[in-house]
Amino acid sequence: MNWRITVATVLLIAGGAIEVIAVIGLCALRDVYDRLHYVGLASFGAPLIAAAIVFRESFSLIGDKALLVAAVLVLSGPVLVHTTLRSLLTRERGDWRAEIERVAEDEHP
Amino acid sequence: MNEWAIAATVLALALIPCLLVCLLAPAPHGLVALEIAGVLATTVLMLLAEAFHRQPFIDLAVVLAPLALIGSLTFARLMERQL
Repeated sequence: MNWRITVATVLLIAGGAIEVIAVIGLCALRDVYDRLHYVGLASFGAPLIAAAIVFRESFSLIGDKALLVAAVLVLSGPVLVHTTLRSLLTRERGDWRAEIERVAEDEHP
Repeated sequence: MNEWAIAATVLALALIPCLLVCLLAPAPHGLVALEIAGVLATTVLMLLAEAFHRQPFIDLAVVLAPLALIGSLTFARLMERQL
């Protein structure tokens, strides 16, 4: 077997496993803030799968676009987690900075 | 059925738990499931393009990736208020 296909298969399995673990985590955990961790994890499976495509196809049209998609997903993961967390804190407490200010006042009255 | 199609099938089946969380859990949990489902759907389209050797299929993933981000950000923004 060609070594490029072997590397591509290993990367494909690793990327797929990361995404499946993210879905298992989504189902297994009960708190929304715990579940939010797996959004970041899921987005990091895409670059492994894009790398697998590049290893198999080299830098063809599919390979280049797969890398572009992976870059978008990796950059969007932390943005999504941060935005969602801020929005959920605002929904819960009125202002996402309220808890931070309360803790700061407790520590330095 | 090659390994790419098998991986696409597995990840497509992984969309079902996300759908169940969206349907059964409260809205904030559904938003988290929607974000993971967006990543999964984009990856499935990438894998299908490679599995069938159809270059136009990858354009769907290129379009879906930013659209899933925009959709999730919009829902997150709307979720700030009690709906």
